Amino acid sequence: MKRIVALVLAVLLALGLLGCAKTEKPAETPAAEPQILKLAESFAYPSLDVHKEYYGWYTSIYGISETLFRVGDDLSIQPLLAEKAETSEDGLTWTVTLAPKAAFSNGKALTADMVARNLKRLAEVNPRFAYLADFNISAAGDQTLTIVTPQIYPTLLSDLTAPELGIMDLDGTADFDNAPVCTGPFVLKSFQPEGTVEVEKNTAYWNEAVKLDGAIFYYMQDDESKLLAMQSGEIDGYTSVTAAAKDIYAADPSRYVLTQIPATRLQFYVLNETRMDDVLRRAVNLAADPGAIAAYLGGTVSPAVGPFTSAAPYGKVTKPAPDPEAAKAALEGAGYTLNKDGFYERDGQPIQLNICYYAARSLDSIAILLQEQLKAVGIDSILTVQEDPDSTYIATGDFDIALYCMIADKAGDPYYCIDALFRQDSRWAIAGFRSDACEALINELQFETNVTRRAELANQIVQMVIDDNAFGFVGLFNKTTVTRKGVEGIAENCPFDFYGVDANTGIG
Amino acid sequence: MGKYILKRMAHLIWILLAVSFLTFLLMYLAPGDAAEKKLNAQGISVSQEVLERTRQEMGLDRPFLVQYGDWLLGVLRLDLGSSYKDGFPVGEKLARGLGSTLVLALWSLLLSLAVALPLSLLAALHRDGPLDRILRFLSFVGNSLPGFLLSVLLMYLFCVRLRLLPVLADRSLKGLLLPGLSLAIPLCSRFLRQFRAELLEQLGRSYVTGAVTRGVKARYILFRNVLRNASISILTIVGLSVGSLMGGSVVIETIFRWPGLGKLAMDAIRDRDLPVIQGFVLLTAVIYVGINLLTDIAYHWVDPRVREE
Repeated sequence: MKRIVALVLAVLLALGLLGCAKTEKPAETPAAEPQILKLAESFAYPSLDVHKEYYGWYTSIYGISETLFRVGDDLSIQPLLAEKAETSEDGLTWTVTLAPKAAFSNGKALTADMVARNLKRLAEVNPRFAYLADFNISAAGDQTLTIVTPQIYPTLLSDLTAPELGIMDLDGTADFDNAPVCTGPFVLKSFQPEGTVEVEKNTAYWNEAVKLDGAIFYYMQDDESKLLAMQSGEIDGYTSVTAAAKDIYAADPSRYVLTQIPATRLQFYVLNETRMDDVLRRAVNLAADPGAIAAYLGGTVSPAVGPFTSAAPYGKVTKPAPDPEAAKAALEGAGYTLNKDGFYERDGQPIQLNICYYAARSLDSIAILLQEQLKAVGIDSILTVQEDPDSTYIATGDFDIALYCMIADKAGDPYYCIDALFRQDSRWAIAGFRSDACEALINELQFETNVTRRAELANQIVQMVIDDNAFGFVGLFNKTTVTRKGVEGIAENCPFDFYGVDANTGIG
Repeated sequence: MGKYILKRMAHLIWILLAVSFLTFLLMYLAPGDAAEKKLNAQGISVSQEVLERTRQEMGLDRPFLVQYGDWLLGVLRLDLGSSYKDGFPVGEKLARGLGSTLVLALWSLLLSLAVALPLSLLAALHRDGPLDRILRFLSFVGNSLPGFLLSVLLMYLFCVRLRLLPVLADRSLKGLLLPGLSLAIPLCSRFLRQFRAELLEQLGRSYVTGAVTRGVKARYILFRNVLRNASISILTIVGLSVGSLMGGSVVIETIFRWPGLGKLAMDAIRDRDLPVIQGFVLLTAVIYVGINLLTDIAYHWVDPRVREE
């Protein structure tokens, strides 16, 4: 009896498993398979309203929405829905001419009036773009838009590349959250809020022929699941590949293509000038070795010299190479002495630096590595972890070294980062960095319209910060993308996170 | 019975009030700013002016009691408010998450019970025999395996090596298998040990010895006496497990892309999305109290002694 029961159970189990297996069908004449690309995305949102929150980043990734200008892989600003932009002699009036063929997926031509209404709506619904309400935006004809700014605003074109400034057909869209009508090479096929998004080719795309028939974006947060889905052939690619997964893909070049470029997310630390003298800060920066940290992090970051990639014209700065011996010499030259524990002290007072960090973006690993590198030169330190840096150590200034991570380059211009970090009224000023010369250069950068001069100014400002040892720039996160062999054009060579599929994306 | 249910419902109101107040207070005191989290979601820094304006628009600059009172008034009007993160109604978010969690929880519970009940009976009947030892070892392993490891191992085996199931789980039976198994294996292992212990206790009672000596059939003793007497403890164990299952499982939901309550709550805590956290806490409190009530009602139904009390 027992044997019979066991046999029946075994047969049932086998049948169950067979039922789940793919059935092999006899070979048929293959019809042309639709070219559908399947990608994994780490974020998903409940809405596709281009203007709200950061949803425009994703409508851009999905190839649904487009902006007037876009940032190229080389960080240059290139026209997209706009053909060109010119400024008046006083620098206050921008005239933007739209691309003559630009049209929405419903066939309606893009007009300057629609663009103006989009920019005004964005100012109303997104607090990060409320400043647009201060601009006088109007249509000066079907194809010409004028934007009058209250003061010279050299970063306008850079701002216009922001994906939140994607243009929607405000009259033709009935449901902004679930079905926006835009101009991109793809149109929405299905949308699960905070889930899977499916797009199909925009057959009326205004710009060029669209290679793909469609794409599916699966919301997958877990790195292991992405790796397994890639291995099982269920997805064709994704970005933000982990160090461990990278090694697995790199071991099988016949199936996978890995692309890695330095991106725009910066890991850095701030040295508290109100607590640490010049020599101690210099010693810390000489002890810190971004190259060793990047190597430990398995190539997920590239060592940083300044806040911007050195490939950018505004990323041409230098800093001394890591040199533990020079760090020790500097400390000893300033009167610091080694105590019996092997750590430096001054006037009998031991030095113990408080390294504050939060456990995200590999800052926890960096904090430990930095502590070890400081220990190697005789600087003692403790680690303090906070869940929320903004309301704790950054707000109070209660740190010696504060680790942080942020996007340093929003869209091909250095001003945003410089303004956020180095201004005398920025929240980082709590660490005590003050330089009138630097502030004057930042003021000049704010209104400078010449791109070459802007890069020069940015380089001077960042160099001042580096020379003052006010900050330490550790790494720029790499954008690491894996694709199945033959897949190309999913913005794998673009350092920004808000581009994905476009007309040229294809499956070979 | 009706009076008893009404009394429990009255208790529920006080429980909900206390739980919601404490959660609100804890989140209010915890470091972190929902406005900052919302604006910096992609790592872009914003000016202090924008931050302050957003805090004002979200009502975060108001005193604690005003914020809590406002929320409470909304709840009395059956309005759980809108998410700080995206402005969508909390009720809709919870309903979506609850539906997914319910499907997964019931599925894994059924799987666990279907395996654990007969196996624990067999293990108890063959105490210290080879089968019992094997089952105890397996339940020990199943209990010890962390959820993420078990999920990834199952995925690797069934999706990558055998290619029988998809990594990209959907609501189909095929899509439900792996997340269900990942939840069911540790649950089943726990049930197995607990049910076995309870059954062994019943089997050692004198009424069993008496029945055996009177020549009562073993099957009759087992199903009519032992299982029935053990059912109160089994119901308690199952009831407690249902409560925790209904809270969702962050790990399983994240790995299998299952949009349940656990992940919703975790994301809300990370984003300091107080209305969603409050909604989640209310819902789980109601679920726990509800399940306890159902368990108590089941006691009445199963055990005549409880009815008499």
